[in-house]
Amino acid sequence: MRKARDLIFGTIAAVCAMAALAVLCGLVFVIARRGWPAMNVSFFTEQIRLVGASGGILWNLVGTVILLATAFLACTPFAIALALLERVWLRSHPARRWLRIALYTANGLPSIVFGIFGFIVFVQWCGWGKSWLAGGLVLAMSMLPTVTIVLIERIAAVPARYVEAAAGLGLRESQIVWAVLMRQSWGGLITGSLLGLARAAGETAPIMFTATIFAGATFPRAIAESPVLTLPYHIFILAQDSFDPAVGSKLWGTALVLLGLVFSLSLAALPSRLRIHEESNV
Amino acid sequence: MSELILKASALTVRTADRVLLYDASFRAESGRVFGIIGPSGGGKSTLLRCINRLNDLVPGLRVSGDIRLRGECIRTNDVNALRARIGMLFQQPVIFPTSIGENVLFGAKRLRSLTRSEASAVTESALREAALWDEIKDRLRQPATVLSVGQQQRLCLARALAVQPEVLLMDEPTSALDPRSTAAIEELILRLKTSHTILIVTHNIAQARRITDTLACVSIRDGVGQIVEQGEREQLLTSPQTPELCEYLHASDIHTGFTDE
Ligand SMILES: Nc1ncnc2c1ncn2[C@@H]1O[C@H](COP(=O)(O)OP(=O)(O)OP(=O)(O)O)[C@@H](O)[C@H]1O
Ligand SMILES: [Mg+2]
Repeated sequence: MRKARDLIFGTIAAVCAMAALAVLCGLVFVIARRGWPAMNVSFFTEQIRLVGASGGILWNLVGTVILLATAFLACTPFAIALALLERVWLRSHPARRWLRIALYTANGLPSIVFGIFGFIVFVQWCGWGKSWLAGGLVLAMSMLPTVTIVLIERIAAVPARYVEAAAGLGLRESQIVWAVLMRQSWGGLITGSLLGLARAAGETAPIMFTATIFAGATFPRAIAESPVLTLPYHIFILAQDSFDPAVGSKLWGTALVLLGLVFSLSLAALPSRLRIHEESNV
Repeated sequence: MSELILKASALTVRTADRVLLYDASFRAESGRVFGIIGPSGGGKSTLLRCINRLNDLVPGLRVSGDIRLRGECIRTNDVNALRARIGMLFQQPVIFPTSIGENVLFGAKRLRSLTRSEASAVTESALREAALWDEIKDRLRQPATVLSVGQQQRLCLARALAVQPEVLLMDEPTSALDPRSTAAIEELILRLKTSHTILIVTHNIAQARRITDTLACVSIRDGVGQIVEQGEREQLLTSPQTPELCEYLHASDIHTGFTDE
C-alpha cells in the first residue's frame, strides 16, 4: 500500500520535473533556432536601422550592460551596509526584526513599483528625465533585497568559532567584521549580485519610463536626458509589430542574446552556490 | 617568587533559566600552571571564558562576580585591550582560511601597525616560541589548512603569542591531537609558564599531573556547576576530599586503565 503510494508520488514528481525541463528546453530551442539566423558579427557591431528591421543591436547591448553595471555598483554598498546592520549592529535591537520583514517584503515587490518610485524621484523630482542613472538605480533597488538576503545568509553561515577566535585576540568589532565576517562572505555578495543582475537584465517595466527609449541613443554623456537603448525594451517594441519577417528574425536574435546574457550571469553564480551547499553538508 | 596575576571572586554565570556556574573563586599566579579538571558539562569552559569575557559575546549569558587582572577589575577596562592581554586556545584549532603567515599575524598586525621587517620578525619569533618555525619557515605563503591538526594548534598558539599576552587560556588544547603533538604542546606549556600565567582545562589526569601546579575541580553540586575543590596539584590528586573529585578521579582511572599505557 505504502509502496504503491510512494511509487505514484514518485512518478508524479518525475513527470512534473520532466515537463518543466521540457518547457525550458523547448523555449531555449525555439529561441535558438529562430534567433540563430540573425547571428553574425554585424548584428553586434552595428546600430539599429529601419525601425529594427535592419542593422544590429550594438547600443542595446551597451545600454543593458551600462544599466547592469550601474545597478551592481549602486547596490553593493547598500547591500553590505544592510547585511551588517542585520547581522552585527542591530544584533540585539528590536529594529532588526523590522529590517528583516522589510527585506523579505521588498523582495516580493513587483519591479514596476520600483519603477514608479524611480519615475517620481529621479525622472520628475530630480529632473533627470529618462536617464541611464535613473534606470540603473531603479534596477539596483529592485535587486537590493535579493543581494542583501543572500549576503545575510552567507554571513550567518560563518562559524562562530572564527568570531570567537578573532575576538579572543583582541580585535575590535569593526576589525572582526572586515577580517572575518566579510572576508568569508564576498562570495555571497557576488552570488547574490549575479542572481539579481540576471533578473534585472530582463526587466522591462521599471526601465520603460525611467531609462530606455527605442532608437536614437548611443553612449550616454551626461546624467539628465541621457537615455539608453536596451535589449528587453527592444524585444518589447519589436514584438508588437513583428509581422515584418525581417523584424522577426532581429526580434528572435535579440531574445537569444538576452537569453545568453542571463544564462551566463546565472552560470557564473553557480560554482559559488554549489560551494555553499557543500560546506553546509560538512 | 610567584606573583598574584588573576584573582576571581564569587564568579557566577547564569542563563535566563538556570545557573551554569556558581560562586567560583580562585587565584592564578605567575610561573604556575592553573589546571581545571572535572566532568563534562560541569562548567569548565564557561569558567575559562569569563576570564577574557568571551561569554559577553553569547546572548543570554549573564556573568557576575569580580575578576582582577593584576589588581584591575576586568569589567571596567576596555574589553579589546583585555583580550589582547589574554591569549586563548580552543579544543579544535581555529585556523582562518588564509595563509600560514597571515594566520600568525592575524591579531598582531591589526592591534599595532607593523612595518614589513617588524612583521617578519614577529612572525619568526612567535613561530619559534610555538616550536613551529623549523617545520614551516619555507611554507608561510601556503594555506594554513594543509597543516596537520597538531601543527594547526601550535599555529594558533603562535598567533596568540604574536599579540604578546600575559595570560594564556587553554580549553582542552590537546584533546583533538595525537600523542606526539600532545607531547609537543605540553613541552611548550612547561616552557611558556616561566613567562606567562597559564590556565588550562584538561580531561586527562596524567596530563594534569605532568604540567599543572595548582588544580581546581569544577563539578555539578546541587544542580549547578561549582569549584568543589582546589589546591596544590599533588594534594588534590593523591588525597581528594570531596566525593565529586573522588568520583571523577576514579572514573578517569578506570577509563585510562583500559585505554592508556
Ligand atoms: N550559551 C549557553 N547557553 C546555555 N547553556 C550553556 C551555554 N553554554 C554552555 N551551557 C551549558 O553550561 C554547562 C557547562 O558547559 P561547559 O561547556 O562550560 O562545560 P565543560 O565543563 O567545559 O564541559 P566539557 O568538558 O564537555 O567541555 C553545560 O550544561 C552546557 O550545556
Ligand atoms: Mg568545555
